[in-house]
Amino acid sequence: MKERREKILKLENVHKSFGSKHVHRGVNLELNQGETIGLLGGSGTGKSVLLREIIGLEFIDKGKIIFKGQDIQNLNEKELQKIRLEISYSFQSGALFDSVNVFENIAYPLFEHTKMSLNEIRSKVAEILEMVDLKGIEELMPSDLSGGMQKRVGMARAMIMRPEIILYDEPTAGLDPTNTKNVVDIMKKMTCLGYSSIFVTHDIPAALELCQRLIILNDGIVAFNDGPEEFKKSNDPIVLKYKQEVHYAGSEGEK
Amino acid sequence: MINLKSLINFFLIMGEITRLFFQTIAASFTRPFYLSRVFEQINVLGVGSISITIVIGLTMGSVMTLNFGYGLMKFGGTMYVPAVVSLSLAREMAPLFTSLLIAGRIGSGMAAEIGSMNVTQQVDAIRALGTSPVRVLVVPRFWASVISLPLLSAISFIVGIFGGLVVCLHEFDMPTGFYMHKVTYTVQMADYLGGLIKSAIFGGIIAIIGCYKGLKTRDGTRGVGLSTTWVVVTSSITILITNFFISKLFIVFWG
Ligand SMILES: Nc1ncnc2c1ncn2[C@@H]1O[C@H](COP(=O)(O)OP(=O)(O)OP(=O)(O)O)[C@@H](O)[C@H]1O
Ligand SMILES: [Mg+2]
Repeated sequence: MKERREKILKLENVHKSFGSKHVHRGVNLELNQGETIGLLGGSGTGKSVLLREIIGLEFIDKGKIIFKGQDIQNLNEKELQKIRLEISYSFQSGALFDSVNVFENIAYPLFEHTKMSLNEIRSKVAEILEMVDLKGIEELMPSDLSGGMQKRVGMARAMIMRPEIILYDEPTAGLDPTNTKNVVDIMKKMTCLGYSSIFVTHDIPAALELCQRLIILNDGIVAFNDGPEEFKKSNDPIVLKYKQEVHYAGSEGEK
Repeated sequence: MINLKSLINFFLIMGEITRLFFQTIAASFTRPFYLSRVFEQINVLGVGSISITIVIGLTMGSVMTLNFGYGLMKFGGTMYVPAVVSLSLAREMAPLFTSLLIAGRIGSGMAAEIGSMNVTQQVDAIRALGTSPVRVLVVPRFWASVISLPLLSAISFIVGIFGGLVVCLHEFDMPTGFYMHKVTYTVQMADYLGGLIKSAIFGGIIAIIGCYKGLKTRDGTRGVGLSTTWVVVTSSITILITNFFISKLFIVFWG
């Protein structure tokens, strides 16, 4: 793993409302190069919205989102498209293009953004499919895949451009233990390769296993921001309440 | 109920549709181009609509000929039937009815397809992967529709003339030569051209409205259903209103 270096992403006092619903009320967050942080918080606390803001799919009302020294709020759609090659988003639902097969889903960014030949693209797609443990499924349609497989294809598509930051939105939600382990293993590989990532999840054991830092969003702000050991020990009422919400008992989470 | 709010809403939607139109035009003339996607859409939208176009052309031609034929017979004007039928087919009926029918078929299809992509976050995925939904989804459909509609209404005109001929032969004992002579003599280049230009404009209207609503679709499957009906109604009304003004314009300029 790369050692911790400069901050690659920084959120400063981010505010966001939908109508009268104030989702973010001043979120501050930093992501260091090569770091994986776990983003926790009850349902509807705005975790997905936060990730969407980071890649510019959602505009914020106030505050700054700084990627490599550049405030992405001031960018137009065209400049944002470049940022989105460096920060990729693995959707909570997978969001695969359901009218084309797995190969075309994963190859899509390569066809759009590179001048690779078809053969190069084929071998790249085969390589990344092997990495997510789904070798040889290029010709299948998304509807032929199980939920777990769809998520992994979505992850492969998000990774294929070798972005700097990968945002995972609940990649393990709704998966059985085997699939969960597969997904966590993929993310571990990516962390070892030096990618920075934000991992949104309700799965505390997985977060403890993967992340160098855990963050809890509560009531529109960051209520907890510390290492996994501190999280386990914490007696902060918000942390305790959250642990209770997701039925995390403590000891059983350690593998 | 028409109140201030729905009036403002109407103008907002008109504004957004106009904006999408200009975005589409801008994206059409800057790199990257997706010619293959345009052909793919011509195949889906245009070629797929040929059978229905033939049916509508035949019915229009023969029914109009029947009615005009017996109507004018009372005044001994049967010989004017080819002129009346061919002129109204070329100028109004073929472009208008073909477009209205096609609006039902492809406009709603676009809204349904893009709408489902939107509610399943596939449109977000297109953006998240650093590409533009307007470029990827709207531009190919727009041009496919602008190219296909004139061709389709030409088909429906030709078939309509043929339908008229069959009726004239069997009902009014009119010689083929006389009929064809009347048709070619009456319908001028300007009439053909006017009809083609009209259908191209209607094609653009159908595509932009269909894509606009698709991209605006919310609320899952129900939303998709509502979008398709909205598109059929809105594009039909827009076509009818635009048709009046274009006809007026043509008459002013070409007489
Ligand atoms: N486009 C939108 N329009 C209106 N409200 C929205 C929109 N997107 C999100 N919200 C609201 O913002 C809040 C946060 O949503 P978000 O999806 O980020 O929650 P989450 O933390 O990811 O929850 P979960 O763990 O269930 O995925 C929710 O209350 C949601 O209703
Ligand atoms: Mg979420």
